[in-house]
Amino acid sequence: MMAATRPMLVPATAARGAVALDPVYRHMRDLVYKISGIFQLEEKLYLMVDACGRRMKQTGAVTPHQYWDLLTAHGSREAELRQLLNEITIGETCLFRSQSQLDALRKVILPEIVKDKSKQAIRRLRIWSAGCSTGEEPHTLAMNLMEESNGLLKDWTLEILATDLNDRSLEAAKAGVYGEYALRNTSEYYRQKYFMRAEENKLQVRPEVKNLINFTRLNLQDDSKMLFMKGVDMIFCCNVLIYFDETSKSKVINHFFSNLNFGGYFFLGAAESLMRLNNKFHLVHFPGTIGYWKPSLKSEKL
Amino acid sequence: MNTDITETIRERVRQIEVTPSIPAIFHPLLKLLNSPPDEVNLDEVIKVASYDSAIAAQCLRVASSPLFGQSRPPDSMKAAIISLGLRRVETIVLTCCMGQAFAPSNWVLDPTVFWRHSLGCAMVCRKFSEKIKAHDHEKAYMAGLLHDIGFIVNSMSFGEQFSKAVAAACEQQIPLHEAELQHMGFTHCETGRALGEAWNLSGELIQVIAYHHQPENSETGRGLVALVHLCDLLCRVRGLDYGYYESSKVDLVADPAWEILQKTHRELQDVDLARFTFELDEDVRGIYELVSTIFGSPRKN
Ligand SMILES: C[S@@+](CC[C@H](N)C(=O)[O-])C[C@H]1O[C@@H](n2cnc3c(N)ncnc32)[C@H](O)[C@@H]1O
Ligand SMILES: [Fe+2]
Ligand SMILES: [Fe+2]
Repeated sequence: MMAATRPMLVPATAARGAVALDPVYRHMRDLVYKISGIFQLEEKLYLMVDACGRRMKQTGAVTPHQYWDLLTAHGSREAELRQLLNEITIGETCLFRSQSQLDALRKVILPEIVKDKSKQAIRRLRIWSAGCSTGEEPHTLAMNLMEESNGLLKDWTLEILATDLNDRSLEAAKAGVYGEYALRNTSEYYRQKYFMRAEENKLQVRPEVKNLINFTRLNLQDDSKMLFMKGVDMIFCCNVLIYFDETSKSKVINHFFSNLNFGGYFFLGAAESLMRLNNKFHLVHFPGTIGYWKPSLKSEKL
Repeated sequence: MNTDITETIRERVRQIEVTPSIPAIFHPLLKLLNSPPDEVNLDEVIKVASYDSAIAAQCLRVASSPLFGQSRPPDSMKAAIISLGLRRVETIVLTCCMGQAFAPSNWVLDPTVFWRHSLGCAMVCRKFSEKIKAHDHEKAYMAGLLHDIGFIVNSMSFGEQFSKAVAAACEQQIPLHEAELQHMGFTHCETGRALGEAWNLSGELIQVIAYHHQPENSETGRGLVALVHLCDLLCRVRGLDYGYYESSKVDLVADPAWEILQKTHRELQDVDLARFTFELDEDVRGIYELVSTIFGSPRKN
């Protein structure tokens, strides 16, 4: 009887084998959180353990303690942490990656933005996927906006900016051809409506979806270019800033704050947080997800 | 509020009071919990808690949950009190009693969902209380556990109207207390208050039950009311909700309750809310498991 749409934070499958974990991994978890803001849930800790295992092989560390020494020793810690972060976030992207973000977008944020902008007779929406990699995120956003284009967003001009530093990723993003792995969260409904058959059992995103998206190369650390990004309603920058050190991270976030319209929103990856890097954004909760809000002008005056 | 409604609520609550399902130890236990900690006699608690052997056995199982900070099941009530402390064991016994107090019939809300929210809120209140270094973490736990007991009254005594309110809340994705007000003219805050008064709960707990959706209106003990208010909001966006999607945006720091709590607890400004949220996610599975231990297995739809 109850609506079954609420976010499931607890996976249906049982936790992976409850092998006692070397306590040093909890120190690593805290270190990773401190450096990158990524919090590894207890039940996902095995992913970090796997990632450490791969790095230990590469570096020749035999025990987790030896690896911990590498992660903390003066000469090696920065390079090694970067490598470990690469391992932790590797191959993580897929379409419909965060359903609770999409629910927040469609059920809470869009109605709010549409209401605000309608007062000013504006019918234009701009969303930015910063660090879009091979395009899964902007394509997912485009399809979800198109779902609203006969209702809430009827007669609106929609635009998605998708940027990344990596040219090869951008090429793949423009092609929009995805295999089963990237499509594992994509329902039959979306497959039928927004994809066409491609080679090797893959699916390609239809042109009308791609038409909403503007793919460009952009380095988030390039201050002069960042200044030009204006009038954005929402920014998704998921699992990108984890690679940045604190100073550059904080710089990018300040850019994002000025890039956004008043009343706009900024999302990080599901396990990331801003920590104390910026206190102008309000941390806001939606069911199952956290976002950051640039308060609208009127609420700031209160 | 209309005095007629208040009287109707009181009358119906009186009828609930006589349902046979409330364990015999419930009232003596509440009395113990209401008395100042230094006046509580250890042997008396053990006697009360062991009176009902089913509840006693369940308490020992619950005490071994990592959420209560014990890795091996204690083999007696006394052992539990020694390792966990008297206050915590009292709250465990109360939790188990609540599980037996209400027969699983006549529920409008899915009882599993209700207890996940209540127990979840209790755990989060205790955790938050620890984070901000409040005085009494176990009291925060009790406040969280009991804050929504008005829903039980609504289910049992105003079932028909309350079902309409629940259906409307699901359908419109709005907070349940708003739907109650629209469809019943009163909320679980009033009915819960009547039950709390009938049970002789402490004044502080009654304030929480009556004002957890408007802490700024509470008469006394505003800090505790504000704490429960914030934790309730957090639970509802983190998998410990009332079983339906509430399209809500929750800005805890901008909430009036935050300011109320900040006045008495300066530690609040140092809380890393994102991390607190992620840590709460880690407990959600444990809370689901505890609920099936204490309140029976989930009802199949
Ligand atoms: C793990 S992927 C994230 C993909 C997608 N946002 C997601 O969450 O599924 C990280 C992406 O960030 C990009 N990136 C890293 N540093 C960048 C920078 N300075 N400027 C722009 N993009 C950057 C990488 O090229 C990579 O494609
Ligand atoms: Fe409530
Ligand atoms: Fe509640």
